[in-house]
Amino acid sequence: MIAMVDCNSFYASCEQVFRPDLWGKPVVVLSNNDGCIIAANKEAKSLAHIPMFEPVFKIKETLIKNKVTLFSSNYTLYGEMSQRVMNILSTFSPLVEVYSIDESFVELSGLEHINLKTYGKEIKDKIFRYTGLPVGVGIAPTKVLAKLANRMAKKLHKYDHVCVIETDETRIKALKSAKIGDVWGIGRQHAKLLQENKIFTAYDFAEKTPVSWVRKEMTVVGERLWRELRGESCIEFTTVPEPKKGIGTAKSFGKRLEDLNMIEEACAYYVSEVSEVLRAQKSCASYIQVFVHTNYHSKFDRQYSQSCTVTLTIPTNNTFLLVTEAKKALYKIYKEGFRYKKVGVNLSGIIPQEYIQGNLFEEPPKISNPALMKIFDSINNKYGKSTLASATTGSRKEEWELIKKQRSPRYTTQWQELLKICSPQNTGKAF
Amino acid sequence: MEKLVSGKIKRSKDRHAPEVSLQTGFPSAATHYHEASIDLHNELVYNQDATFFIRVEGNSWSKFNIRHNDVLIIDRALKLKQNRLALVVQEGEFDVIRFSENQAKSEFLLWGVVSYIIKDVL
Repeated sequence: MIAMVDCNSFYASCEQVFRPDLWGKPVVVLSNNDGCIIAANKEAKSLAHIPMFEPVFKIKETLIKNKVTLFSSNYTLYGEMSQRVMNILSTFSPLVEVYSIDESFVELSGLEHINLKTYGKEIKDKIFRYTGLPVGVGIAPTKVLAKLANRMAKKLHKYDHVCVIETDETRIKALKSAKIGDVWGIGRQHAKLLQENKIFTAYDFAEKTPVSWVRKEMTVVGERLWRELRGESCIEFTTVPEPKKGIGTAKSFGKRLEDLNMIEEACAYYVSEVSEVLRAQKSCASYIQVFVHTNYHSKFDRQYSQSCTVTLTIPTNNTFLLVTEAKKALYKIYKEGFRYKKVGVNLSGIIPQEYIQGNLFEEPPKISNPALMKIFDSINNKYGKSTLASATTGSRKEEWELIKKQRSPRYTTQWQELLKICSPQNTGKAF
Repeated sequence: MEKLVSGKIKRSKDRHAPEVSLQTGFPSAATHYHEASIDLHNELVYNQDATFFIRVEGNSWSKFNIRHNDVLIIDRALKLKQNRLALVVQEGEFDVIRFSENQAKSEFLLWGVVSYIIKDVL
């Protein structure tokens, strides 16, 4: 059996743990540049239709009218809280697959003799007691069914956040209650195809559709889902994440920028971020792409967007080499007279660092010494991000950095930002 | 992760390998007795995944010897027992109480149990 454990409105719940004044109240978390809504708790969702990834200004009035509390995203906090949950899960099973920041699969084979509903409840209660985060638990023989069970645990009150699909009877019941589009792994295209063929529920799909049809129309991927829904486990546990095939970052500036030097500094900063990721996964990039664009939503700004990809002579993960190449690309695409909103960097053609082929006609540059990058990373690890940086990064980060107006303190990682409590009746200070 | 109290004895990473003493002259008599230095986090934190540090403002809890600027170590995994200090929530606000069993539990929601009070006395 497999359990799928996921945190209810994870980002909003993390914020609420430290804010009892907001318990039971609507909370919304905004994206990096405070532009879009990326999470809303059930109280917020019940007040108004809150479309995810919509620019917040479109529904700002509704939010203010309903006294919804807005937070800028505090990924440091969410990451740390997520780690706690994963650690707790690993006390329930030796095999835990961290599927995303707020979802994990827990392998429970060998535990069939115990009451799984009770075990699921123990998981839920322990996570809540330790971290204050509410979770839902779905337990079933396969990953796809566990995901389905998890959905039911959340939707239907009677399950009390723990739902087990154990018998064939409960499995059929679950399949009948699930719309085909809600099945994990069925994308929008496939959902459309299936509906056109009168397949509306997971039951229609898994029990009424012949496997030959599924294989023909939806390849082996579809067949796997079909089998999983019938209780045959086909999707393995993966505990080591696949190395990323492309790494990129792009964030909006805090204000519109016109000055090339300033954009260059932001660009260099992003390059150092992505090259750190490269080195952490021990790989090198063969191409680097730089792009800039103005604000699409603005009605009065002149619009411009452009990108440029550079092929590196020798694949590298060296910050300095990548910054140099990114700079060349940026100089090519930058045009004067526009108010830029964003610069972004993408690395692609990512290969393991031990497979790098040298270039027959060119000596590797002196600076590409891996020992330099190693010491560079270890110093930044110890003394904080960007203690050492390429000089191109400059020191005007505050001027271009995205605004995080409503970011909560990093309660669990910064001694200076601990949660502060003071008694309501008597707030008098010592001195 | 929860600290395993029983089980294998953990080997310190800092331990000098017996044959390769860092001293070049007389071999150290301490070679075979080296242990890792005390790490307060290991001593003061019982359940790492359930522990939060919280700073106090004001002197309203001075009756519990908790004063302005102290840091409380809060362990959410510990049981609330007679006479333990607890961080609780009442009507959406934090409060620190000393728990007594005669008290009606419905008066508050437990946030966590206070395991240590850290004071800066400089």
